[in-house]
Amino acid sequence: MNFEEDFDNASEVDLVVNTYPVQDDGLDEELLATDQVSQQYQEVQIPEVVKNFIMFFHRNVLENNVYELHSIYEHSFNKLTEKFYAKESWPDPEAISPLVNDDQVFLTLYRELYYRHIYSRLTPTIEHRFHSYENYCDLFNYILNSEGPVALELPNQWLWDIIDEFIYQFQSFCNYRNRIKNKNDDELAFLRDNSQIWSCYSVLNVLYSLIQKSRITEQLLVSKNGGDMQEAAGEYGSRPLYKMLGYFSIVGLLRVHCLLGDFTLALKMMDNIELNKKQALFARVTACHVTTYYYVGFAYMMMRRYADAIKAFSHILTFINRTKQYHTRSYQHDQINKKGDQMYALLTMCVTLCPTRLDENIHSQLREKYAEQSNKLSKPEEAMQVFEELFLFACPKFISPNGPNIDDPNVMNLTPFEPVQHYTKIFLAEVRHSILLPTLRSYLKLYTTMGNAKLALFLEIDPDQLRTLLMMSKIRSRQMKWVSGTLLEGEYQGTSDLDFCLKEDMIHISESKVGRRYGDWFLRNINKFQDILGGLELTTKA
Amino acid sequence: MARVSNAPPSRPEVIQSLIDGVDRYNPDNVTILEEYLATQCTNKECDTMANLAILKLYQFNTHLINDQVVNNILVKALTTLPEPDFNLCLYLLNEQMANEESVVRLIALQDLLEQARFTDFWKAYQGDDIYKELTAEVLGFEDAIRSNIASAVAMTFQSIELKNLQEYVHLKGQALSDFIKAQGWTETTNGDLNVISIPVNKDNEAKTVVLAENIRFEQLIRVIGHSNDA
Repeated sequence: MNFEEDFDNASEVDLVVNTYPVQDDGLDEELLATDQVSQQYQEVQIPEVVKNFIMFFHRNVLENNVYELHSIYEHSFNKLTEKFYAKESWPDPEAISPLVNDDQVFLTLYRELYYRHIYSRLTPTIEHRFHSYENYCDLFNYILNSEGPVALELPNQWLWDIIDEFIYQFQSFCNYRNRIKNKNDDELAFLRDNSQIWSCYSVLNVLYSLIQKSRITEQLLVSKNGGDMQEAAGEYGSRPLYKMLGYFSIVGLLRVHCLLGDFTLALKMMDNIELNKKQALFARVTACHVTTYYYVGFAYMMMRRYADAIKAFSHILTFINRTKQYHTRSYQHDQINKKGDQMYALLTMCVTLCPTRLDENIHSQLREKYAEQSNKLSKPEEAMQVFEELFLFACPKFISPNGPNIDDPNVMNLTPFEPVQHYTKIFLAEVRHSILLPTLRSYLKLYTTMGNAKLALFLEIDPDQLRTLLMMSKIRSRQMKWVSGTLLEGEYQGTSDLDFCLKEDMIHISESKVGRRYGDWFLRNINKFQDILGGLELTTKA
Repeated sequence: MARVSNAPPSRPEVIQSLIDGVDRYNPDNVTILEEYLATQCTNKECDTMANLAILKLYQFNTHLINDQVVNNILVKALTTLPEPDFNLCLYLLNEQMANEESVVRLIALQDLLEQARFTDFWKAYQGDDIYKELTAEVLGFEDAIRSNIASAVAMTFQSIELKNLQEYVHLKGQALSDFIKAQGWTETTNGDLNVISIPVNKDNEAKTVVLAENIRFEQLIRVIGHSNDA
């Protein structure tokens, strides 16, 4: 049976539950069995085309047909969502159970999609949040604690989405728990009795377990240093399902630690992943590729390694520009674009804090999107407000790991801890020191030597203050910059094209210049000359 | 300068394996890390990576929080400025910890140091006894700060007036002369002024660099090809 065809021909919703299209011979008996069970669910009206889809889906999961599953996952599911479930949830897993012969593994996978759809299209209730968590536990339990590796195979995109969604729902739960004021007594009781659900430890436990089970660290070391991959991967890690889940969990940890404000640990998670390597695994799934660079860049920025942050953002933004036409149709398109916009905002701030010549395309995109903000950032009186706006727009949704103390009877009257405000405050305190630097820089660019007192007059500050400002500017212009090795490693380097030194109260300024590019000019003209010569020879021969 | 990523040479193996693995999340290990911090406080070293692991455990297990330990970690982080360590620690504190009087006081010191307002730093530090108390357990605190100030000065100046330097490092008389000598700087005069001259280093030389064009061999392939044809 070709599902796609079936779907396209289905012009109206068929509400008859009892008729099934004839399946492959092998499935007939199963179908008869499910037929009887399904009588109980007559009240649930599932469109025929959806029923067919679910059975087709089920069969392909059983057959580990990754190719077909890819198309089911990326296209059919979304098409049906648009058609039937744009404003309501997919059929209850209980209701479809008879269709799939009560296959628990399939139902777990189905529930993953079912709850994810609720999260993205509707408003999840506390029950949804808890049951979705339990479903993830079932899924990971099945994968990690079955006897031996499970035979399941899923498309990479789905595997990434599982990890991504798991962390998203964790983050969503933490923020939900934080907003204690609008909870009713039932919800509070629920939260109180189930403190382990969506706890930090349980989430980290899942991600670390997947990493360990897949022996992904060992595999990455072998791919970096050479060795026997089969031996490093072991029984589990040699299967794509485990390998990719393990790998995506590393990127997942990068994200979780950023959300928790632990930027050093976040980058440490990436110790064995080489960002610069061509065909790195993260590049197999675009969303993973973008996520990796967003969090790496963000962590660098928070560690004041602006030059490294700029490099990370520029790299991925160039990638997004180049591949624009390929992902326009995908449902992830909006998300990727949103992350792209956020990264341009972060880049705008980084370039203000650490003036850098950007790639031309990136630069023009940046001017297109953030020209106004960019100008304001260099004006001391407006900079702080723009820094705040951009940061709030572009930062990840930070979480508070523990949430409010629900046992405290007074808790309803306390203002909950807003992690975003905490991080914004520290970040702004940090950049506040730098707001005079663009003005200072613009004056320094005009001179080669200049007296301290004269410049102080221009800037309308005290000469002692200026000396201080110059020292700070000097310190800020030296940054740790990645050269080789793990992401956390680096060397102190000057990052500015403008440098200066003080001899007592005289400022000596120097500016690095890009020399003229003779070589390029000559090469182009040599080639042109040869072409003309070649052309002449051809005409004389003729 | 210390590097966050780099283990200090003296980092014990047990600490190394602890912060590398999942054991860093085990609340039972907090004592080992706290003892290691105490060692850092007496032997004047700083291992920020290990100290961040303590704060991580506190973040997850609020009942473990020891205010004195948090205080010492932050004081240690002050001694590593202009490294970002202090802020990296702040990011891991919860609201309650971040609003503690002692933390707010230390943030005020950080603020001055970050802006290179060294004269104001010493004024604030000397002006209130609370700072001596807060930094009491970290041996050599003042010397460490002074040494970081010296590197900021050496990055910026080729020569500096004695009266300015005196304010920045907050030293006088013989102590100041000894300090200057220890840095490898020399006292001279320029007219009426007492001036300290600082040897040229890669940060204070302010040399104009012209980025020259680099032609790669691949770019020449076509040209060489032509010469073969001829």
